[in-house]
Amino acid sequence: MSTASTQAVETASEPQARTKHLTQRARDERRLGWLLAGPAFVLMLAVTVYPILQALFDSLFSYRLTAPDDRAFVGLGNYGVILTDGVFWRGLGVTLLITVVTVAVELVLGFALAMVMNSAIRGLKGLLRTAILIPYGTITVVSAFAWFYMFDINSGYVNHWFGWLPGIGANFDWFGSTWPALFVIMASEIWKTTPFISLLLLSGLAQVPSDYTEAAKVDGATWGERLTKVILPNMRAAIMVAVLFRALDAFRIFDNIFIMTNGAYGTEALSLLAYRTSIGRLELGLGSAVSVILFICVAIIAAVAIKGFKVDLAGQGRAK
Amino acid sequence: MKALSTRQKILWGLVGLLVLLYTLWPLFSILMTSFKAPSDLFTGRLLPTKFVGDNYAMIFTGGARDLFLPALRNSIGISLISTAIAVVLATFCAYAIARLDFPGKRLILNCALGVSMFPVISIVTPLFNLWRQIGLYDTWPGLIIPYLSLTLPISIYTLAAYFQQIPWELEQAAQVDGATNWQAFRKVIVPLAAPGVFTTAIIAFFIAWNDFVYGISLTSTEAARPVPAALAFFTGASQFEDPTGAISAAAVVVTIPIIIIVVLFQRQIVSGLTQGAVKG
Amino acid sequence: MPSDVSHKRRRRGAVGLALALVAPLALAGCANQQNGPPTLMWYINPDDGGQAELAQRCTAASGGKYSIETSVLPRDAASQREQLARRLAAGDASMDIMSLDPPYVPELANPGFLAPVPEALQKAALSDDVVEGAKRGAQWDGKVVAVPFWANTQLLWYRKSVAQKAGLDMNQPVTWSQLLDAVRETDTYIGVQGIRGESMTVWVNAMIESGGDHIVRNPMAPADQIDLGLDSDAGKAAATIVGTIGRDGLGGPGITTQDENVTMQNWQGDHGSFMVNWPFVYAATQSAVEQGSLDRSVLDDMGWAQYPRMSADRPSAPPLGGIMLGVGSHSRHPDLAFDAITCITKPENQAYYFVSNGNPPSSIKAFDDAAVREKYPMAPVIRTALENAAPRPQTPYYNEVSTAIQQGYTPLTVVTDQTPAQVAEFIRRVLRGEALQ
Repeated sequence: MSTASTQAVETASEPQARTKHLTQRARDERRLGWLLAGPAFVLMLAVTVYPILQALFDSLFSYRLTAPDDRAFVGLGNYGVILTDGVFWRGLGVTLLITVVTVAVELVLGFALAMVMNSAIRGLKGLLRTAILIPYGTITVVSAFAWFYMFDINSGYVNHWFGWLPGIGANFDWFGSTWPALFVIMASEIWKTTPFISLLLLSGLAQVPSDYTEAAKVDGATWGERLTKVILPNMRAAIMVAVLFRALDAFRIFDNIFIMTNGAYGTEALSLLAYRTSIGRLELGLGSAVSVILFICVAIIAAVAIKGFKVDLAGQGRAK
Repeated sequence: MKALSTRQKILWGLVGLLVLLYTLWPLFSILMTSFKAPSDLFTGRLLPTKFVGDNYAMIFTGGARDLFLPALRNSIGISLISTAIAVVLATFCAYAIARLDFPGKRLILNCALGVSMFPVISIVTPLFNLWRQIGLYDTWPGLIIPYLSLTLPISIYTLAAYFQQIPWELEQAAQVDGATNWQAFRKVIVPLAAPGVFTTAIIAFFIAWNDFVYGISLTSTEAARPVPAALAFFTGASQFEDPTGAISAAAVVVTIPIIIIVVLFQRQIVSGLTQGAVKG
Repeated sequence: MPSDVSHKRRRRGAVGLALALVAPLALAGCANQQNGPPTLMWYINPDDGGQAELAQRCTAASGGKYSIETSVLPRDAASQREQLARRLAAGDASMDIMSLDPPYVPELANPGFLAPVPEALQKAALSDDVVEGAKRGAQWDGKVVAVPFWANTQLLWYRKSVAQKAGLDMNQPVTWSQLLDAVRETDTYIGVQGIRGESMTVWVNAMIESGGDHIVRNPMAPADQIDLGLDSDAGKAAATIVGTIGRDGLGGPGITTQDENVTMQNWQGDHGSFMVNWPFVYAATQSAVEQGSLDRSVLDDMGWAQYPRMSADRPSAPPLGGIMLGVGSHSRHPDLAFDAITCITKPENQAYYFVSNGNPPSSIKAFDDAAVREKYPMAPVIRTALENAAPRPQTPYYNEVSTAIQQGYTPLTVVTDQTPAQVAEFIRRVLRGEALQ
């Protein structure tokens, strides 16, 4: 706590805060600070921390909503069931696969879009920005339906358009097996979220000092060299933040899968498993345990990224 | 800047076209589906052979009306209210973080980030349980409150970043004139901060508008069911018929406001999104 | 500062305005408690407006005793159950009348979520006027817990031209293996629902029941003592048919994602031959012809027969669907709700519902209605099918059983004679709480 507050003091360029002992005014300011920030802070925690603690508690019981009298304490039994079950590990695998693939593709695609926006001519900039924000604002469920109808063997046209590709023909059922279904699911996810990543990268790109790139150009560096030696290293922070944000978002993927396959044929991600167990089967105990595990996974990814790769997320809140 | 050569112009034109194609294609595709008659759905073609408005009639005046219109009302109402609450609270909070000296502000920012990464699905079951015990299940407040977990964090850090760029001398001048912190905030900072607040509101609204997990888990009737959840509940003419047309039409209808907002405020949204993010 | 005052006033005005805008919206949900007759809430499955019309008719017929309002549930049966179970578990007092899919009745009846059915309605539900399948579907633990409203079943629909070409005499009962041979011979696709969904359980259950066994032999047993008939001879025979259709590609290319509607669409197409499906296909095919999107010849070529048999010497047990009406145990007006149910399920109302919405009645009298006979030439065939129809397993754990079958029997290509034993073992583990699903 003390380090946090000293840092906070440093960052808040408040002249009167530099006095060693607290003046009346500084005390008032503290009070006002918490008065203003408190409600948002408390509410934010109330709607997340309380439920996750409740989930933790529920996960220790065998409890089915339609058999309330049979509720029984099972300790960590639910976790044992989940962690020894292939269904869970397959779900985790699918989730990780989706996370890795979508983030990687989005990073490349998003970077290309950011480069385009960064160097676009004046008249085009506004148009590009507008265009890129449209997927960002589109409801994920709408995107899921749009992609589903495109590829669906009955109502879609993709099979007819791309019939010349090997393996694809009028009779190709995209949602009938794991890999093609995941392909469409990821395509929809990528379409919808690349704009966000590209905007983060755009702001990172804007921070690469232009004299560096100019200097490299004068030194005769090729475009590729400028990219890998100057631009990318200077954007490291932006890239890491973008990757972390999107990775955690992708890890929670739900809407696209729910709409397109509802988890059938090996496309069930962890979120769907949690949903189906607690809301579908009404097995609240087991479902809560899946939820807690999902939460722990997210926390681990965040911790590894922040500690291991030194992604400074809170840095954004500080003055430049 | 040098004048562009024709070749460069053509190149940029192509690039622009490519980006437009990428961003608009799926929406164009579902727009075309929404104009198809049932007999047209299975042709394997993108364009309808005949443009018909039947699907729109269905969601506004026909069989899907009772599902779609209440959902539209719920979505607009619930998203607006939760956005408003989040933005008001976040404004106070971000002001305090940017402007006042008090212990724990880093904690608040870290928590906001933590909450924004929270897997929604993890808290849906306990909320569902709690809501049904206290009677919030399938009500507006029952969605507004959890939506705050989505809208508050992003509002806090977008606004905190924005507020740090406001010229604070003005406030200090007001304070010199004898105004308290509170007065200085209200009279000087609020007008300066308004554009940032507005941008934040748009972003928060998008996030609330997009929600699906809370929507399907914490509602069960048209009393509170939002649009994304309702889209998954559409039905054809009878129990077993597919509602492709109605879903497409409804999907188009709910995307139109998004496009309008984006066209009008693209500059603000982009600056809001990029400001909330990395700062060196 | 005058400008300051006006600012303040404006802001206060804005806050007031915002509150004024928000308050009625937020209160709209609870504003229905006005004077006048009590309002009964009827949670309906989606249909073509028939239930809403019946709600109006019965409101009018009540002479001011009550008024019925309808609220639509999600589209597929599993989501309907989810919604209802969640609301019932929450002790929702607005659950006056519910349209229930029969397999979920036990799960809701077992924990006492359903209000007891009055004597008179119990008797009516077991009277000779109710088709056999619906009678069975309405009971749990030896008691009538829900009131049969309409009763659905599947027929074997066929293209007369294809049957003729294959040399099948459709006036005689046909078996699944005859159909598969016919489909091979004529190079057409057999119409079954291969999607991972409730329709998979409907199909597997019908085949096992037709073979003389049951998926769950002791539906009343507690979760850990359940006796499964999946791995019986009948169960293996069913699995063989599923697997053969899958591996030999007899169901067409899109079989893995084919639901009832797509089955019909494909049946109407060039490779259509035989399909098992609900009677909605007749009304839907008719209206497609009327709208000009389908050639008249398809309708003229449409024939119907009893659900295919598993063996030539044993009548088939077609699937039972339809809707039962139940009353929530927390309803404020259970008496009125059952009054309303008595009205809704009157034979003439069932006949109206069949004619207007294509959903067959559970009342035998309704089948004799002149309008029914005129609109549905196959009504007598449906009636016979309903007499033989078998419900899906009536266990409180139906969801787990059904989900396991859906997961184990799709995609059709993976189904072998090992599948039944594996799925049965999986169900046992899930019900003992040893496995996720």
